[in-house]
Parts: sequence; structure tokens; C-alpha cells
Amino acid sequence: MTTLTRQDLNFGQVVADILCEFLEVAIHLILYVREVYPSGIFQKRKKYNVPVQMSCHPELNQYIQDTLHCVKPLIEKNDAEKVVVVIMDKEHHPVERFVFEMSQPPLLSISSDTLLSHVEQLLRAFILKISVCDAVLNNNPPGCSFTVLVHTRDAATRNMEKVQVIKDFPWIVADEQEVHMQEPRLIPLKTMTSDIVKMQLYVEERAQKT
Amino acid sequence: MDELYLDNIDEFVNDHDKIVTYKWLSLTLGVHVNTAKQMLYHYLDHKRKESSAPLHATYLVSGKFVDNGQTSHKVSVVKEDQLEDVKSKMSLIVSVHVYSVQKALLKDSGPLYGVDYDAVKDNLKNCSRYSAIRCASAVPRSSVELQQARHTQLAPAPEPEHKKSATNGDATPASKPSTKPQKGIMGMFANKSALKNQDSGKEVKSEQKEDAPVVDEPKSKPAAKANPMMNFFGTQAAKKPEKTVKQEEAAPSSSSAEQQRPSSQPEETHAAAAAPPKNSKKDSRSKTKRLEDSDSEEEKMDKKKRRRIKKPEPDSSDEDVIPDSPQQMETREASPSPKKKAEPVSQSHQGNCEMKMRKKRRVLKSRTFVDDEGCIVTEKGYESESYSEAEDDVPKDPIPAKRPASSKPDEKKSQKKASANSNKGTKQASIMGFFQKK
Repeated sequence: MTTLTRQDLNFGQVVADILCEFLEVAIHLILYVREVYPSGIFQKRKKYNVPVQMSCHPELNQYIQDTLHCVKPLIEKNDAEKVVVVIMDKEHHPVERFVFEMSQPPLLSISSDTLLSHVEQLLRAFILKISVCDAVLNNNPPGCSFTVLVHTRDAATRNMEKVQVIKDFPWIVADEQEVHMQEPRLIPLKTMTSDIVKMQLYVEERAQKT
Repeated sequence: MDELYLDNIDEFVNDHDKIVTYKWLSLTLGVHVNTAKQMLYHYLDHKRKESSAPLHATYLVSGKFVDNGQTSHKVSVVKEDQLEDVKSKMSLIVSVHVYSVQKALLKDSGPLYGVDYDAVKDNLKNCSRYSAIRCASAVPRSSVELQQARHTQLAPAPEPEHKKSATNGDATPASKPSTKPQKGIMGMFANKSALKNQDSGKEVKSEQKEDAPVVDEPKSKPAAKANPMMNFFGTQAAKKPEKTVKQEEAAPSSSSAEQQRPSSQPEETHAAAAAPPKNSKKDSRSKTKRLEDSDSEEEKMDKKKRRRIKKPEPDSSDEDVIPDSPQQMETREASPSPKKKAEPVSQSHQGNCEMKMRKKRRVLKSRTFVDDEGCIVTEKGYESESYSEAEDDVPKDPIPAKRPASSKPDEKKSQKKASANSNKGTKQASIMGFFQKK
């Protein structure tokens, strides 16, 4: 049994890696389940030992990867409070928001060999829940698009604006229009608590979608 | 049959929004699978009569299927709307039953597997307890039989030194390529646990394969062990077991490591003449001191396994030729060994704390740079350690760094980036001072 603390071995990086991998899979799955893109571009792949749907479109994949690459430093420092996948209709009004709220305990320490398999199990449950969220959500109007917003603590975004982590991929402060939704209905999907991270997933849905 | 089952299923489906498969239901309620199937059928019937919230179901259909004159037995899971269609296509229907019930209309069959995965994993030993399929002679092998089976499979295939032979010996090496696509930590740790299982198997084997005249008993173990493994699994796998072996041996060898060091010198030269894997033995013996050597090998295999770190090995050109690299390691180690003798005292301290960490994490890289080019590289390693009394921030950062020559500026660069999130250790203060002066 080994005990690692946050100071050791850049533990923040480990957690950030795990979370970013999960977010990538989750975003792809959300796009598939909510039919934001035609299902033909998706292909079955394996993650956490279960089949998941990932897109094959190179530009879409690159966009998602770049987005998460920029979010990763925020997660490392535990500055990212929420990562939100917003699905918007043709007029760019949000229709659905999948909110991943995450927080890391300040004194992180792993003291268990089975920690990662436990985390894997919890993440698998998230994936499963996203797959069946159809049951509780109304259908989206056609022609939707999506975007990713990050809510950070304090003023962490100031650094992001100063330093472009990826060239030609700037992050800007989101418009009010994209952030706020009229008459949202809150539907909780899943929560998980583990030694390394606490995460909650819920969906805010607009009462009238069309 | 307990009458509460209808309420139970109702709770699972409607309140928890779960997908209830018959297998999951049988494991959860502790009933035979046929009972579970009937329960689901009754539930569906009941709910449909009540015509409350829409429920969806999937069915399992199995039967004879004629395809261009060839008959085959086809088993398929179909959605409800396709049920009649599939049934009519079959020439003979052997069984039809409810596979799952859920509230949401599933777009693909992926989640069905996910539902059963955890339930089966929890009941791994007796997942067929409620199963309708039985075979009296299908009994899990005992561990003794398992080792014997591995034994007989490994023995006849020592010659081919490429990866294909790995699948001969063990099922687990074959899983390594499949875990490679799993980027990052998960894949890394899945591999490690797989290799640990192999170690126990190889231990038995190594004792029988006599290799070289080595004095100590514990020393011969890793040596002989390394030999078959080098041959069968190539560098990557071989170094991983070496690493785990070294860690196991670290405890007993740490106390006597100093005495072994001088004795290891003559044995090194002797070993260099004898066979390639000897250096691994030497490494394991003096593991706590000779971290550079062991680290470079571990780093090689770790880096090759981790797709994320796509850097060419800092150990430079040697890696291309797999069997040669250990030999070259040896010759190099012979020359800078007097230098290393001076260092181990300071390094051993860090070695101890790093050992704990190494088990869980990827290898501490700075060591690798140490070894490669002989003296020069050794100095590098030494210097980084003098800065880092207890911290491993310096070693951890070079993961993304490229070549040893350019690693220094990269190290410092990545240290700067990491400094934001890592705590300010004593060594970091001095290194950061270098940057902040800009």
C-alpha cells in the first residue's frame, strides 16, 4: 500500500488526466444520445471496459480534444468548478445543459490499491446514466449545436486569456445569452464521491424546447 | 415467487431509471435466471395493461436461421419493434424471452453490456450460480494447475523473440496491446496488475531454468527470471516484471545493498560475458542505490507502454536493438560505477521514498537521464537530486521532456509550468528563483 499526497508526483496531474479522459468520453456520448450529430459518424469503442460511442469526425474530435486540453490545467489546480456542455438550438439559445460539477478534496491522498478500479467503476456508472438520460429528457429540436463552458473559481480565467494554451484556440468569456436559460428544469443524473474527486452530473432543461 | 418482485422491478425501472436485464435481476434478487425472465415478462404485461408511462423492452431470440442455404443457430437481442420481424425470418425458434426492460428507448446495445458488467464482476466466482447452463466438467482450474499450464506453454517457445511469442505463454501479454488504446493512467495500471500476476508464474519457472553461476540465492532468482522473460516478451514486458521484482526484492536487499555493491562489480564483468539479462540481476540487488540503472530500464518500458508519452527513449539508440541494450547498459555501468559509488549515499535516501511512489506512478524520470551517456548523464541526475531533498517535482517533470541533451531546458520549462500547482518545496524555491529573475 502506498500513500500519496497531492504534493507527491504531481498528483493533480493524475487526477486531471483521469477527469479529462472521462469528460471526453462523456461529451461524445452526450452528442450521440441527444442526437446533436447524426449517429452515422459515431463508432463503438471501449472505455472502462464498456462499449461507448465516439465520433469519427476528425474536426469534431480535434475540437473536443483542444477544449479539454485547455481545461486540464484548470482542473489540475482545482480551479474548475463546473464543466458544462450546452446544447443550443438554431438561434443559439440553450436548450439543454449537462453540468459536471466537480471538486477535489484539498488534502488529496490515495491510500488504496483499489482506488483506481473503484473510480473506474464510478465513472462507468456515469456513462451508463448518460446513455439512459433519454427517459427523463424531452427531445431536442432539430439543428442543434453544442458548446462547452467552464465555470471557474476566482479569477483563474485571467491566466487563460493571457496565455493561449493552444494556438488559435482562444477562450472567451461567455455571453449571458449562452449561460442563462429560461425556465430551467433541473434533473439530477448521478453523483459520485471518491478519494480523489467528487463529481455530480445534472441536466438543466428548458421547459419549452421548440 | 415473492409477490414483492413487481414492486421491486417497478422501483428499479421507474424510480432509479435503470435498465433491468434478466441477468442483473437474477443476481440482485438472488433468483434463477428463468425466474427472472418470467418476472420481467409479468411486469411488462402488468404495466402495459395499466398503460402508464411507456416502457421499452428488448428481447432475446434464438433459433435456426437459414442464410443462403447455410443453417446456423442465431442468437440475437432485438428491440421490441423488430421482434416480429426477426421471428418470422427464423426457420425454427428455439427461445424467445425478455432480455431487458427500461424506460428509455435505447439507441444501441452498448449500455446493456454495461449494466451486467458490474453485477457480474461483483459475483465473479459464482456468476453462474443462477444460470441455466451447466456443465459438470467445467470447473475453474486451481492455481497449481494454472502454473503448470503456463509452464508447458512457455517451455516450447523460447526462440522467437518478438511479441507474438508472448501470447503463447500467457493470456495477459495479449491484453497489453488492447490496453494500450486506453490512454493514460487506467491503461497503465491495468497493465501493471496484469504483470504482477505473471511474476508469480515466472518465479516458479525461473528456478528450474538454471542460468549462470551466481553466488546468492536471491540474486539468481531475478537473473533467471529475467532470462525467459527477455526472450518471450521483449523489452517492454521484461522490464516491467523486473521492476516489480526489484520492488519486491528491495526490502530484503536494501540492508545488504552496500556490501553487495563491491561484490557486484566483479560479478558485473563476469555477467557481461555470460548473458544479457545479468544486468537486471545486478540492478535488483543494488536497487536502492543504483536507481539510475534500474530506472532507465523501467523508464524504457514505462514509456513504451504509455502512449501519451510519445518521446523517444532518452536512452537513445540502444532501444532499437532489444537484446543489445542490456549488454550496453552493463558496459556503461562498469565504467561509471566508481562515480556512482559516491552518489548512492545521497540517492538512497531519495530512493527509498521514490520506491514507494514508483509503485503507484510512472517512473521518476530524471534517473533515466542519469544513466545513458555515462558520466555526463550521471552528473545531471546528481544535480537534480541535490536540489530536491525530498521532493520529486524535478523527476516528475521530465516525463514530457525529449532527449537527454535537450532535457535540461525542457525540465526547467516543465518545472515552471508545474510550479503553479505543485507546492513550493525547498528545492523548487531555488529553481523557481532561476526563472523569476527574468
